[in-house]
Amino acid sequence: MAREVITPEKPADVTHPPMEPVEELRVERPSLRDWTDLRLGWWGFVRKNLDEPMPPGVGWWQTLGNLLLTLLMFQFVTGFALAMFYAPSPQSAYESVVHITTQVPLGSFVRGLHVWGSTLIVVVTVLHILRVFFWGSYKKPRELTWLVGVLIFNVILGFSFTGYLLPWDQKAYWATVVGTRIAATVPFVGHDLLVLIRGGEEVGALTLTRFYAIHVMLLPAALMGLTAIHLYLVRRLHIAGPVLPQKGKPVPFFPVQLFRDAVVVLVGLGMLVYLAAAFPPAIEAMADPAGTDFSPRPEWYFLGLYELLKIMPQGFEVVATVIVPGLVSLGMLFLPWLDRSSSRHPAMRASIIVAGTAVCLMIGLMTLKGILETPPPHGESHSEPAQTHAMRVE
Amino acid sequence: MCECRNCNHCDKKDDSLTVSRRKVMAWSIGAINLAVFGAVFGPVLGFLGSPLKARTKKEWVPVCGLDELEPGKTKEVTYVVRVKDGYTMADHRYALFLKREANEVVAIDPACTHLGCKVQYQEKQGRYLCPCHGGVFDTEGNVVSGPPPKALLRHAVEVRDGQVFVQRNA
Ligand code: HEM
Ligand code: FES
Repeated sequence: MAREVITPEKPADVTHPPMEPVEELRVERPSLRDWTDLRLGWWGFVRKNLDEPMPPGVGWWQTLGNLLLTLLMFQFVTGFALAMFYAPSPQSAYESVVHITTQVPLGSFVRGLHVWGSTLIVVVTVLHILRVFFWGSYKKPRELTWLVGVLIFNVILGFSFTGYLLPWDQKAYWATVVGTRIAATVPFVGHDLLVLIRGGEEVGALTLTRFYAIHVMLLPAALMGLTAIHLYLVRRLHIAGPVLPQKGKPVPFFPVQLFRDAVVVLVGLGMLVYLAAAFPPAIEAMADPAGTDFSPRPEWYFLGLYELLKIMPQGFEVVATVIVPGLVSLGMLFLPWLDRSSSRHPAMRASIIVAGTAVCLMIGLMTLKGILETPPPHGESHSEPAQTHAMRVE
Repeated sequence: MCECRNCNHCDKKDDSLTVSRRKVMAWSIGAINLAVFGAVFGPVLGFLGSPLKARTKKEWVPVCGLDELEPGKTKEVTYVVRVKDGYTMADHRYALFLKREANEVVAIDPACTHLGCKVQYQEKQGRYLCPCHGGVFDTEGNVVSGPPPKALLRHAVEVRDGQVFVQRNA
């Protein structure tokens, strides 16, 4: 196909010289691709990303970020679908979720995708953080990529905390009563914070609307902005590669690394679909502030904190609610400035590796303890926890 | 070289603005931006913070008949109060432990003083147990063990015409 490039006649009074690619694309009958490229610069953008150089040694561990991105899109789509059937008020929330689960065609499955998706995102985010941690990829010049990542992690935890309340069943209600009370343990401003979060003294209609607005508006907007910055930084600074530079030339992102990404996405989403279909989430009895015999449990990844609360002696709960989580968050946030070694090799930053591993082990063990002590989900054994405690008293 | 720095469209030096005029404009733009932020976030923050100002008043509510309580025993009762819940009036069900001693009735709130789970009364041991983090209270509501920092809350009680009333927020 012969293209005739039109050289624009430059009128004397035009002081704006056309930019280069524009000039190149001034063909008489442009293909759709050229036409869009002239206006959007889209293909150049795609090309640049597909050609992104991957240092030798980049492999399967670097696929987790992409899997996260895909899972996030799933959350967004399934969440949008759920929002179309959900009604955030104490009078209707529970009923609308029961309706979604039992009446709406595929409702149980879509809800399953959203619920299991949230769990998978937490698991994959933790894996992604661990891989960045052990590779030391947060070091100069990628400090801000890491910092934005930690903010994203907190947004993700915010999603799960606010989302947990929405079904307005017993589990939702009590986990929120306890979870918000944690804010009240903050010295001095605790009570005001509690009222602000709950929208009143008690968990009620305004708590639900607050959590809903945060869950479907504030956090998605924050997450999108932060993820955009994160990805921009990842591309701008390029992937860090193995801790010790390996021999060989950089390989373009496409096709090898993108193929790995696609395989991991297939496996991850396969798991998600399987879990959603095989283990659709249940819904318990409706929230009842006077309900007897209910033993509240938070979402499994908050169980570590929950166990920590159990072992805190009287009067020290602020250690478990504010000090420990605060120190862990600050430590994560400022990790690139705490770890001052210039080498990324684990042996050269042994203290940080040991400290990080210790914190992870503690969290892991506490979470495991919590999981083992949790009665099987969804109610069959409501009376069991009371018995366990009864034995403890004697 | 163009000195306005924010365009690459011309190669002419733009000298129509003096430095001081440029500064005045830059500061004005900043001030206008601040005003815009204030106009959005001021009202919104005030609006979101409004629950801090809401005042709750105490009210006497009937919970059960005195004859339903056995002397010396603790009984869990539930009662319903019509409360203002945000944008609606709603019937809220609450639980309460009532303990009758001679002619006095003690009303113990079931919310654990640790983080607010509902405690359960074990009659055999004469203990309130919290299912959350293992708080234990005695029949008077005082802490026996576990993380709770203080005794279970007591509501003021009045017995009028054989009917037990407690005072609570409504
Ligand atoms: C929604 C959540 C997230 C998404 C979508 C995401 C996405 C990505 C992607 C696509 C990459 C490049 C490929 C890879 O290394 O896997 C990446 C790299 C990176 N991520 Fe994330 N990420 C997320 C969360 C986080 C979190 C929570 C942290 C840290 C606390 C983090 C820190 C980093 C760092 C430092 C890099 C650069 C790694 C390197 O250069 O080798 N990310 N992220
Ligand atoms: S809420 Fe009762 S022990 Fe924590």
